[in-house]
Amino acid sequence: MDIIACIKRVPDTSEADAIKIDGSQRDIQKSGLAFKINDWDEYALEAAVQIKEKLGGTLTAVTVGHQEWNDILRRALAMGADTSIRIDRDVASEDPHIVALILKTVIQRLPHDLVLFGAQSEDFGSGQLGAMVAEMLGIPHATLVVSLEAGENKVHISRELEAGTLESYMIGLPALLTIHTGINQPRYISLGGIKRAMKEELQVMSLNDLGLSVDMLVPMMKLERLELPLQGKGAELITGTPEEAAEQLAKTLKGAGIF
Amino acid sequence: MDSIRQALAEIVGEEHVSTHPEELYIYSFDLGTTEPHRPDYAVSPRTTEEVQGIVKLANKEKIPVVPLGGGLSLAGIAVPFKGGICLDLKRMDSIIEVNEKARYAVVECGVSQARMCSYLEKHHPSLTHSEPGAPGSATVGGNIAIHGQGDLAQPYGFNSDMVNGLEVVLPTGEVCRFGSCAIGASWFTLHPLPDLGLFLGWGGTTGIITKISLRLFPRKRIRGVGLFVVEDEELVPEIMYKLTQTQMAEDIIAFSQAIPPLVSGVQHFTINLAADSEKELEFKQEIIWDDTLGEYIRSGAGGFLGFSRGLDRPAVSKTSDWRKGGGFEYVGSIMPIEKYPECYRRGREISERHGIPYTVLGRCIGIAHAMMFSWTYAFNRADAETVKQAREALHETDDLVLELGGTIWKPGLYGQKLVIERLDPNTLNLMKKVKQLLDPNGIMNPGNWEVSQ
Amino acid sequence: MTLLDYKYADTIHRCFRCGYCKFPVNWMDVNNCPAYARFRMETYSCGGRLWLIRAWLSGEIDWSNHLAEILYSCTACKNCEVKCPLRFNVDILNMIIAAKSEMVESGRIPSSVKEFLENIQRQGNPYGHSRVKRGEWMEGTEIEPYQGHDLLYYVGCVGSYDDRAQEVARMLGKVLQKARVSFGVLGNDENCDGNEVSKLGEETLFEMLVEENVAQFKKLGIQKVVTLSPHSYNAMKNDYPRFNGSFDVMHYTQLLKSLISDGRLDVSAGFDAVVTYHDPCFLGRWNNEYEAARNVITAIPGIQLIEMERNRDSTLCCGGGGGNFYIDLLGGSERSPARIRAREAHAIGARILAVACPNCLTMFEDAVKAEGLEEELVVRDVSEIVAEACGIM
Repeated sequence: MDIIACIKRVPDTSEADAIKIDGSQRDIQKSGLAFKINDWDEYALEAAVQIKEKLGGTLTAVTVGHQEWNDILRRALAMGADTSIRIDRDVASEDPHIVALILKTVIQRLPHDLVLFGAQSEDFGSGQLGAMVAEMLGIPHATLVVSLEAGENKVHISRELEAGTLESYMIGLPALLTIHTGINQPRYISLGGIKRAMKEELQVMSLNDLGLSVDMLVPMMKLERLELPLQGKGAELITGTPEEAAEQLAKTLKGAGIF
Repeated sequence: MDSIRQALAEIVGEEHVSTHPEELYIYSFDLGTTEPHRPDYAVSPRTTEEVQGIVKLANKEKIPVVPLGGGLSLAGIAVPFKGGICLDLKRMDSIIEVNEKARYAVVECGVSQARMCSYLEKHHPSLTHSEPGAPGSATVGGNIAIHGQGDLAQPYGFNSDMVNGLEVVLPTGEVCRFGSCAIGASWFTLHPLPDLGLFLGWGGTTGIITKISLRLFPRKRIRGVGLFVVEDEELVPEIMYKLTQTQMAEDIIAFSQAIPPLVSGVQHFTINLAADSEKELEFKQEIIWDDTLGEYIRSGAGGFLGFSRGLDRPAVSKTSDWRKGGGFEYVGSIMPIEKYPECYRRGREISERHGIPYTVLGRCIGIAHAMMFSWTYAFNRADAETVKQAREALHETDDLVLELGGTIWKPGLYGQKLVIERLDPNTLNLMKKVKQLLDPNGIMNPGNWEVSQ
Repeated sequence: MTLLDYKYADTIHRCFRCGYCKFPVNWMDVNNCPAYARFRMETYSCGGRLWLIRAWLSGEIDWSNHLAEILYSCTACKNCEVKCPLRFNVDILNMIIAAKSEMVESGRIPSSVKEFLENIQRQGNPYGHSRVKRGEWMEGTEIEPYQGHDLLYYVGCVGSYDDRAQEVARMLGKVLQKARVSFGVLGNDENCDGNEVSKLGEETLFEMLVEENVAQFKKLGIQKVVTLSPHSYNAMKNDYPRFNGSFDVMHYTQLLKSLISDGRLDVSAGFDAVVTYHDPCFLGRWNNEYEAARNVITAIPGIQLIEMERNRDSTLCCGGGGGNFYIDLLGGSERSPARIRAREAHAIGARILAVACPNCLTMFEDAVKAEGLEEELVVRDVSEIVAEACGIM
């Protein structure tokens, strides 16, 4: 089976105060931040590697980004991808439609039975990319996949709905899936693995190589401004016996004009 | 979800039941040459009530229960031959009471030998127990259940003769007590009440010992070991006899081994002496070395290699690594002491024929009433051929024991069959009745001591 | 990897599972292996772990998360190596770590171990906190960045990022300032010492950390290092020389001992307390240093030092080694080693449980709370005890 996994490089924002808006007000300050593979994409890569281990075939990792994005491709290779491709363009804060167009062009040229995306990215979190690419390619897709079994010409998947409900599908290949976290336990990528991956070749392509030009990439949306949410005063903790607390709460709500 | 597993978890707590392949793998092994057999459950209870609950469940579900102490019998006595529940009793390790005036300790079955040594040394330094010399993780319960012997064997006999009382969970789940504790008195004496011959030496096939009252003995201030050697193995029985006449020694062991080559063929004696004063020690040394062994020393037949103070308790053994192989097993026998020379010669021959450096040892039990004579065969766990050789040597040695007129001390399956074949038919019949009475569903350590076959 | 490729293929079968490794040197009880104390199943004892490694590598059992957890529950406390009477005892931990390495390379390790290592890869500390916050512990102390001082004061990850351990990092700094020691720190430029990484089997990451640290130290002209943590002390003293990094490394208790005996630190004010000292594994069993901290404590007037029954090489590990201060495979039970130890300290009548390691510190702070002993037993680092005795606090 030929699998393509599309991955994104995102900042590590596990600490809330790590994020500061930069001068342009349309991006965050990058200095002092560490970067990694988007969480959802890691699950997608692991799913891809597991299918490859079971059924054989090839796995290609693809990303659209500038040179520093090579590191996530190395991690993908260390995890078990056979080849990796980077389309050289800084698209981090761009309209997903543009990224979709670029990816669709790459994917079309490669043998693909299964295309995997993470369900969303940790930074912008639009969750649109996978669905858009599937539509552009004219292949069926399913999003928020939490279980996946691949066969010869089809995949059996489950999607997560509300309140733990699952719906299951059998989808004929080629197909595109966006993968939800928790579907598997992504393997650890050791430094030894990454070092070995350093020796492997990364394919870098320009827009030109794809037959695309900048004029063809017309955004449908324009990012106006990024801002941090306003910090409130903080929480007020009401203490005392249930009776005392209820009395105080009622007073507070009344005073706030709630009733 | 496995309903038995669920029921077990309700009895002991989720953390103390395992059906993971890892636990089942480890608990399938005896450390000797016995082939492993997997249990279905590994369970680790903490209280007698939990053991009862497990046994009752096992009866209901007709699933075997295999009690396990330190797992150091090296005879496969705790291998789950028919699967079932492997019951790791080592969490039942409280020292409940030490009574200095009557010199006994009440302990749970899983108390380790090492802890007994260390606890008594620290909290009751005037008392000691008979330490068997097995690795310190061996349990008090397991040791008396197999009629073990320790470093007080010479004056006081088998460790199983040092029992004042037992608490036992029967295969049908009732709890019984034996000895004075059974009538609500303290645990100070076994006799003259109806005793517990039903649970010692039966290989855990008649019930699970959960508490023991163990007799303790005076720990004298000075304890040490004297070393004596003779070349002629024919002298060993008479030397042992004469030494026991003095009633001065705490432990008398005669041994001989091929390694190091320098001592091959020589018979060594270690003689443990204890005294509360220099006066007492000197007196004892005189009686032993001068009066009793003097004739051998003077004639050159024997040599005294000195007396060193201090006892290594618990003893530390490196036997398992002699062949860098991680394994050994031994046949232990209870033999008349007069058989020592033959045991040595025949044992040496069997070892050499199987390419194993010989190691034999005889520990005097009682006043030369008998000795525990053992033949040890080391093997390399990573080399199946050496395991096979060791197993063959062990079987031949089991045959030898009975040929020479001894009994096998804690036989594995092969030895059990030999003993059962020779047993008085009425005795055998009675054993069958006893087992049928105590364990109607046949759940208690099946595979071992199958008298009904 | 099969058994044939395993570095210790010739040795792994030699364990007899006699069980000596479960005991302390003084034979006090059967629960001196922290993992065995916690779970009391044979699989968690050292012998069980070695047999399982052999079974896994020879294909008798498959990899599973449970197997991985059994392996990673080893805290590398060295009790087993000290107790095993057989010749291969020097390789026991190496055998376990080599097996961990195999799991690391295959990527199949418990998720908390994965987090630990990924956080170090990314941020230079196992917590995953930002590198740019590593130096925040120093705020308000006037401790200087290293610039040709006599000593580098190397704090380590726990001291830099854990709230409670930061208090100790600051306090030690103040004590050194009081003694007018010339020292500086690396602040945000400090990187993980790598000790736990090596015990977790991530060899290449360990090598990278050591090489980076050695290069950094040499560039700054550092020759002498005093560490807050025995873990850092162990790595820098015993492993860094292999990477051309031979520095004069001390643990801070050794420095304090000489400062007190030289008269550069005056602890004569003293204060009254009944103290017991817990030997950290990486200072004690790993490096045979049992007396420095005791000398420091007993130099303080008013302090009565009492010993727990298992002390020095018989100590029960706090359960925080092998990354377990974060990975926490031994937590969650009254049988957790830190809780057993806290009860032991309390039972002998100590009011202060003295530690000399930030890992032990955090493990025992949690344990004392879990045991409900906060009113009767406090956990204090040796540096905090010294600070009080010099009137700094």
